[in-house]
Amino acid sequence: MSTAPGLDLASIQDRIQSEVQRAIMRSVKGVEYIASSGPALGSTPKDILSIRGTMRLYHYRPLADEIYRVPILIVMATTNRGYILDLVPGQSFIEFLLKRGYDVYMLDWTAPRPEEQSLRMEDYVLDFIPHCVKLVQEDSGEEDVTVIGYCFGGVLSLLYSSIHADGPVKNLICFTTPIDFREMKLFQNFADRRYFDVDRLVDSVGNVPSEMIQSSFEMLRPASRAIGQIQLWDNIWNDEYVKSYRMFDRWATDTLPLAGEYFRTITKDLMWDNKLFNGTMSVGGRAADLSKIKLPLLHAVAEHDHIVPYEAARHLIPMVGSNEKEEVILKGGHVSLVAGANAVKRLWPKLDNWLCGRST
Amino acid sequence: MSEKSNDPVALWQKMLGEMEKGFNSLSNQALTSPEFSKVMNQASGVTAGAHKQLSDFMEKYLLSMNMPSRSQMVGIAERLQSIEGQLSDIKLLLQEMQKQTGVGSPAAGPARPPRTRRPPVAPPPSGEKT
Repeated sequence: MSTAPGLDLASIQDRIQSEVQRAIMRSVKGVEYIASSGPALGSTPKDILSIRGTMRLYHYRPLADEIYRVPILIVMATTNRGYILDLVPGQSFIEFLLKRGYDVYMLDWTAPRPEEQSLRMEDYVLDFIPHCVKLVQEDSGEEDVTVIGYCFGGVLSLLYSSIHADGPVKNLICFTTPIDFREMKLFQNFADRRYFDVDRLVDSVGNVPSEMIQSSFEMLRPASRAIGQIQLWDNIWNDEYVKSYRMFDRWATDTLPLAGEYFRTITKDLMWDNKLFNGTMSVGGRAADLSKIKLPLLHAVAEHDHIVPYEAARHLIPMVGSNEKEEVILKGGHVSLVAGANAVKRLWPKLDNWLCGRST
Repeated sequence: MSEKSNDPVALWQKMLGEMEKGFNSLSNQALTSPEFSKVMNQASGVTAGAHKQLSDFMEKYLLSMNMPSRSQMVGIAERLQSIEGQLSDIKLLLQEMQKQTGVGSPAAGPARPPRTRRPPVAPPPSGEKT
């Protein structure tokens, strides 16, 4: 009997031994996994500056002895929690910025209450964001503010910046921000105007439930959750893998409901009429024309983004009127672009390099 | 290379990855069809309708049980929210007064660092001029 070429019997024996050890560890760690909670997330020290219903404005305590003049306001996506940008020490974007000497504020969201179902796009763009910008100016004592918007937070930041083209935003950074909503093919199909009665939905449920938002995200990659569970079991002996899995899984399943009226506008103006791309978008009767944006702008997009495909995001740079504008395409997906080991190596240093000279 | 191709664990992991890609791609094809949109939205329309009917029924039921109705609870929540907002404004006002009068309290936190930081090597902005 001969062995197959390249097959080393000694290494197979080692492999079997290692797999048996892992199988034992899986049982031990599996029990630990069920009995314990995940790592504490979003624990960088911060103060609350303002609470207004669904809106929260945080100020993170500086970690450097000397900070840049221009403060940063991060505008989080309305569907998700801001702690994705502040996972655990060493994997926190916020901590990275603080250590590099930036003064950081975050506009984050909680689930809108039933009475907030009437919140409209104008409440977000013409009230919440200006309110937070004003508080950041007062708190920091600086007129200029850098705004960073993640995903739909980027859309809100663009709408705000185009309407307030004269300031006070000094720099604008968008992460994976959709412009051409026709290119979000699956969401387009879910919201097909021939079959999707958004008025009926909003009139029935008020705020759009988080379960609905989450299942629409999960439907984009229906197999990934099940395969993720199998991979978790496979790697449950590996503490680092489990820690990372728990962080991202907790965040991914912690989606927020959307205020009914706001959802109605997103569906009709953006998903159906594609007004941002067509240049016909207006908020509260004020035209939101992207070409009015003249400030330095950085757009970071992910090569394998299944939520906001590159085709949906690539139009931002050509459409804004800025002289200084740059698009960076980085390896990774919608979330790994901004958080986790991938982001630590790629996006964060790139962003610091772009922003430091513009923050004095 | 050959060691990897014979490793059953590596093969299993590779197979899982391929399965995931394949299944996702297959289901994406189905999910982009108009038929799927029609069926999905019919189903969610029914769910939303049932949800509304249940809410109406519960509202009436609570009223008959002499318990606060949803609209009353919403009214209380609105008042709480308004109080919460006013407290936040008062806190900010107090902090502002503390700054102006120079009377600090231990809760006011440490002094802010100076805003004089410069970039490490003062490079020119890296953005492309277009």
